[in-house]
Amino acid sequence: MKQTPIISMKKICKTYPLEIGGEQQVLFDNTFNIMPGEFVAIMGPSGSGKSTCMNIIGALDSATSGTYELYGKDITTMTPDELARVRNEYIGFVFQNFNLLPKRNILDNVMLPLMYRGLPMSQRIERACEMLKLVNLEKFETYLPTQLSGGMKQRVAIARALAGNPKIILADEPTGALDSKMGNEILRFFKKLNQDIGITIVMITHEFEIASYAKRVIHIYDGHITYDGPIPKSESVLIKSEQRAHKK
Amino acid sequence: MTIYDIAHESWLSISGNKMRSFLTVLGIVIGIMAVVVMVAVGETVQQSITDQFSSLGTNTLMIRAGAAQSAGVRTGNRMTLTMNDVEELSKLPDVAAISPVENSSAQVVYGNKNWATSVVGVYPGYTIVQNIEMEYGSFFDTSAVRNASTYAVIGHDTAEELDLPKNPVGEVIRVRNTPLTIIGVTKAKGDSGMMSMDDMVIVPITTLKKRVVGSRFPNAVQMIAVKLYQDADNNVVSDQITALLRQRHKLKDTDDDDFQITDMKQVMETMNTVSSYLTLLLVAIAAVSLLVGSIGIMNMMLVSVAERTREIGIRKAIGAQESTIIIQFLSESIMISFIGSMFGLFLGVGLSQGVGRFILNYNVPFSIWPVVVSISVAVFVGLASGVMPAIKAAKLNPIDSLRYE
Repeated sequence: MKQTPIISMKKICKTYPLEIGGEQQVLFDNTFNIMPGEFVAIMGPSGSGKSTCMNIIGALDSATSGTYELYGKDITTMTPDELARVRNEYIGFVFQNFNLLPKRNILDNVMLPLMYRGLPMSQRIERACEMLKLVNLEKFETYLPTQLSGGMKQRVAIARALAGNPKIILADEPTGALDSKMGNEILRFFKKLNQDIGITIVMITHEFEIASYAKRVIHIYDGHITYDGPIPKSESVLIKSEQRAHKK
Repeated sequence: MTIYDIAHESWLSISGNKMRSFLTVLGIVIGIMAVVVMVAVGETVQQSITDQFSSLGTNTLMIRAGAAQSAGVRTGNRMTLTMNDVEELSKLPDVAAISPVENSSAQVVYGNKNWATSVVGVYPGYTIVQNIEMEYGSFFDTSAVRNASTYAVIGHDTAEELDLPKNPVGEVIRVRNTPLTIIGVTKAKGDSGMMSMDDMVIVPITTLKKRVVGSRFPNAVQMIAVKLYQDADNNVVSDQITALLRQRHKLKDTDDDDFQITDMKQVMETMNTVSSYLTLLLVAIAAVSLLVGSIGIMNMMLVSVAERTREIGIRKAIGAQESTIIIQFLSESIMISFIGSMFGLFLGVGLSQGVGRFILNYNVPFSIWPVVVSISVAVFVGLASGVMPAIKAAKLNPIDSLRYE
C-alpha cells in the first residue's frame, strides 16, 4: 500500500519584501516529500534558505506560492490560529538556543504545549514527568533552566517537543550551542528516537558531520534544492551539486 | 487553557517582577483609596446634613425679623416681629407648634464654675419645634412664660461643662447675676446646625427679656420658629405667613417684606445639592490619580511585551493562539488592577472609618457602592490599559519574536 507523505511540498516559493523597496526571493520551486519515520537533514550554507524552509515546514511562516500539505492537509491558506493548532498537534520544535522559558521550572516548560492543548493538569504532569524520564532529567523537575548545562537544556527542549506526541520533530541546528561531546549525545538521542519510536525528524544544519546522523539529506543552495537523497559518503557530492546549480 | 491556567500564568508573570509590579499596583491602590476616601467624605457631609435636619425636622419654617430699609438702602436690623405676631401665626391651621426665639449669650455660673454659652428665650412649644427630649426633669409650661419664672432648662453639654450633679434638677445657676433654678436637662442630640442644642440654657422668653437681659422692647422677638403638620405644604404655609405678616405690619404692595422666612426643607435640599457637587468634585480629583495609575499599568504591560517578545514567540511556536496571548496579557493587567483595587478599597474604607470613628468621633456611613465601583473600575482599568499591549503581543510574528534578543 502506498504510504502518504507526512510533509508534501510542491513548488514552494518564498519572497520577502525589502525595506529599500522591491523584494527578494529566497526559495525557488522547492518540491519534496518526507515520509513518516524518516530522519531528514536539510543542509545548506548560511543564507541558502534552509531556515526559511524550516519555518514553512514548521507552520511558522507561509509560502508565497506553491502548496504545502501536512498529513494530507493543505496548510498554505490557514489562518494564524489554525497554524498555531497545527504546530501544537503535529510539530515539536527543538531550537539551537533551546528557547525555554527562563522563569519557569523544567516541569512547567515541558508541560507548556500540553496546557495549550487543554489537557487536565494531572495528565500534563504525568506526561511531562514521563518525557523528563525519557531524557534522564526526572530529578530536575523543579530546577530553573538557568541552573542546567547546555546539554541538559537541550534535553529539556526535546522533552518539551515530545510531550505533545507530535508527528514531526523539527530541530533547527540543535547542536549549534553545544560542545561536540554534548552535540553528539543529542544527535545519538535523535537517532534513537527515530529508530525506537519511529518519529519523523527533520533537522536543519550546515555541517555535513551532523547531517550524517540522518538517513536522507536535502541540500539547498541559493533557494534551490541541489541534492535530495541518501546521505552521501562524502560532502564533496553536495559541494558538486552546489557548483552544478551555480553554473545553471 | 483553563481559568486556573490563565490566573496561574498571570500570577507567575506578575510575581516574576516583584518591585515593578508592586509600584504599578501602588498606583492603583492610591487611586482607589483616594476615590473611596473622597466618597466617604462626601457621604459623611451629606449624612451630617441629613442628621442635623432630621433632628430639627424639615417641616420647619424660621421667620427672622428683617432688615430695615430707608429709601431702598438697608440700614440695619429692626425689631419687626412681635409676640402678637406669634399669637396670630399660631392660629394658622397648618401650624402644629410655634415659639418665639430670643437669643443672647452670657456667662453661666454654678458654684466656682462658669461657662460662656447661649441663653435662649422661648415658649414651651419650642420642644416640639426642635424635637427636644428631656434627660432629667421637665420643660417649663405656659405659666412659667406668663410669670417670667426663674426656671432654666440646660443642654446636656452645658451640664457637663458646669460640672453639675448627674441629675441637676433643683440646682441654681446664675446667668448675668440672675439666679435660675434648673428644672430639666435635655437629651444629647449631637451638633445641630450653627448652634449646638446640647450647649445652651433655655429659659422662658419673658424671663430672658425681663430678668436676664432687661430688654427695652419686651414685645419684640428676633425670630419665630414654626413647626408644621407633616402633611402641610411648606410653600403654601410660607405664603400664608407672608400674607398675614404683611397685613399685620401694614406693608404696601411696593414695600419689601420686613421679615425673612427660611424653609428648612429648601435649606436641606440646597445643602444636599451643594454637598453632592462637592463629592463629585472630590471624586473627580481622586479619579485623576486613578487615571495616572492605569497609565502606569499600560506602561508596565508595554514594557512587559517588549521584554517578553521571545517568550511570546516560544509560546506561539508551541501552539499558543492569538486569542490565548491576548487573554494572558489582559488577565495580567486585570489582576494587577484587581489586586490594587482591593488593597485600595480596604485601605480607603479602613482609613475613612478609622479617622471617622477614632479621631473625629463620627460614625462614617459605609455604603456598598464603593466596593462595586472599585471592582468595576479594576476590571475596566485592567482591560483598558491591557488591551493595547495584549493586541501588540498577539500580533507579534513568531519568527521575528524567536529571533529577538
